[in-house]
Amino acid sequence: MTTALQLKDVAKSFGNTQIIRDVDLDIAHGELHAMIGPNGAGKSTLFNLISGKYHVSGGTISFYDSEITNKEPYEISRMGLGRSFQVTNIFPRMSVYENLRCGVLWSTGHRYSFWHLVNRQRDVNERTEEVLEMIGLTGRRDVPAGMLSYSDQRALEIGITIAGDPKMIMLDEPTAGMSHSETEQAVALIRKVSKGKTLVMVEHDMGVVFDLADKISVLVYGEIIASDAPQNIRNNAAVQEAYLGTEQH
Amino acid sequence: MNGMTKNSPIWIAAAVLFAILPFIFQSGFALNILSQMGVFIIFALAYNMLLGQGGMLSFGHAIYFGLAGYFTAHFITLMGEEALPYFPISLIPLFGGLAGLICGIVVGYVSTRRAGTTFAMISLGFGELVTASTLILIAFFNGEEGIQTDRWVGPEPFGINYGSDIQVYYLIAIWCLLCMIAMFFLTKTPFGRMSNAVRDNAERVQFIGYNTQRVRWLAFALSSFFAGAAGSLHVMNYEHVGFETVSVAQSGLVLFMAYIGGVGHFIGPVLGAILITILNSTLSDLTEAWFLYLGLIFVVIVLFSPGGLAGIVMMHEPIWKTSPRLLASLVVPYIYGIATTLVALCGLIGMIEMLYYRSTTFSADTSTSIYGVTVDTASVVPWLVFIVVTGVGVYLCRMSYPGMAHSWNAVINDIKQRMVS
Ligand SMILES: Nc1ncnc2c1ncn2[C@@H]1O[C@H](COP(=O)(O)OP(=O)(O)OP(=O)(O)O)[C@@H](O)[C@H]1O
Ligand SMILES: [Mg+2]
Repeated sequence: MTTALQLKDVAKSFGNTQIIRDVDLDIAHGELHAMIGPNGAGKSTLFNLISGKYHVSGGTISFYDSEITNKEPYEISRMGLGRSFQVTNIFPRMSVYENLRCGVLWSTGHRYSFWHLVNRQRDVNERTEEVLEMIGLTGRRDVPAGMLSYSDQRALEIGITIAGDPKMIMLDEPTAGMSHSETEQAVALIRKVSKGKTLVMVEHDMGVVFDLADKISVLVYGEIIASDAPQNIRNNAAVQEAYLGTEQH
Repeated sequence: MNGMTKNSPIWIAAAVLFAILPFIFQSGFALNILSQMGVFIIFALAYNMLLGQGGMLSFGHAIYFGLAGYFTAHFITLMGEEALPYFPISLIPLFGGLAGLICGIVVGYVSTRRAGTTFAMISLGFGELVTASTLILIAFFNGEEGIQTDRWVGPEPFGINYGSDIQVYYLIAIWCLLCMIAMFFLTKTPFGRMSNAVRDNAERVQFIGYNTQRVRWLAFALSSFFAGAAGSLHVMNYEHVGFETVSVAQSGLVLFMAYIGGVGHFIGPVLGAILITILNSTLSDLTEAWFLYLGLIFVVIVLFSPGGLAGIVMMHEPIWKTSPRLLASLVVPYIYGIATTLVALCGLIGMIEMLYYRSTTFSADTSTSIYGVTVDTASVVPWLVFIVVTGVGVYLCRMSYPGMAHSWNAVINDIKQRMVS
């Protein structure tokens, strides 16, 4: 089986505080992997290390057999890793359509072109429409993204992440702050967009986690204390003590 | 519909307007203003590629305008002396653009590595550096005198020799139109869209495959190209280039043009360039305090209408689209508002003029002319008159402004109602 993502002894300190401690992690191609852990455990930090936002303090990260440790975010993105953010991170002044189109442009090879009209590029238009349809915002295509409802913004966040058709998708708390029915819709969307891809997702909602994931990693104080199939995680004593026993957030 | 072809009627209208303007305004003075306008429209739009489109605030963009001007002046002079092979004068903005582009690539490599405040500081540093160089590198800049050149060189195809100002006007007008179209086109390209994206959220852009520094650098270089094209036309217009063209004051002026016109709309800098060129040429003869007024206009726009003139106009677009009658209902309150503002300004300007006269003139004669009337600044009467006029104006404004706000809100509510029903 191909390994999509591999972390070896990854560590990260901010000043004197070590936030991530010697994390080892293997995620297979096509896996739907959930990462859980209490607040402040370092889940987002781990995402930021993998996607190149932060440099590691130690260890190596490889993505489909190429080393990506400390590469720039845009280099990692071009290799086929798309990520979303815990706090919505979109282009608020642009329309929904334009937001998605920004996500499409690099992957369709248009790069920094200043000699093509963007709306004449059929590949760009088709892919943008497709993503628009997929995230269910076709009816809101010309609305400025900043004016969307929260859950629509979260859907757009996922849309931008997958627009470039990445091999691996990393979603940081895609359902946080959503109502029950919105969460259901989001789960359906995540299922749809991750078809045939590798998914890594940080999630606090255990219902979502056990529903979606093939495999779950538990991060506590910067350490992965277990990484296993859902039923084994549920029965793992250390996990129950460290995490599942406490109230959810 | 396609963004470029949709706008072709506008470009055709602009071309017709450029063509007939010299027949409407026939004096040499007016023609000169028109030529200047063309140059500054290009320059202000180029500047807005940075500020409005790319979110980069530069305090030194005149160096690409001015340096291209110096290169152009030397180039034309050397061609005249036949030290250089002939290059068609009609294509001189391409040469200026290339000079600007090269300078922009070099300086931009350093300055666009950072955005925000750091970028602004670096731009100011380079602006000062080049301004200071004009007094040091005499061989190239010729100090405060600057460089004189003669645009009448080489062959004269179809009698085009740029001997007359009208020919230069048409040269500028054609290039102005071409540059406007090119810069508009750029906003519709992948580069242009990503430039906006970097402006709005640079962090996110990195995670969708784009190197934000690269985007900013490209925007900077292309903007410098157009600034350079404007600079070479400036030299064609005056047959002279001086240190003021690279100065921080010139950079400030183009910033004012773009901002007052409105950085959020493509047309904004065009409006700003037109307005400020007219004011600059007319007011600077009438009053010494012209820069003070310009500063005041700028402050008022920054505080009360950050979208600039274009922003004010575009604010009314939804109203116009809903119903022209709704727009008409705003006319009367606006007239009241504007008229009362003018009264207050009239008094204020009177006082500023008298103050300015008293603090800058050292002759025994204390009387000066304001609004065509001779007033004695040493006497208390004109002061009282202007204070009263200002007071009355402010009082009237306090009556008319709520009326404007009220009508505006009524119109907006009306539109909301229509949207709901
Ligand atoms: N840039 C930074 N500088 C300093 N400390 C940081 C930085 N980013 C994160 N931290 C710290 O690292 C720890 C882990 O933060 P992180 O955001 O990764 O947690 P998390 O597991 O995502 O939590 P949550 O569930 O609340 O999102 C926190 O204590 C946080 O304060
Ligand atoms: Mg987090």
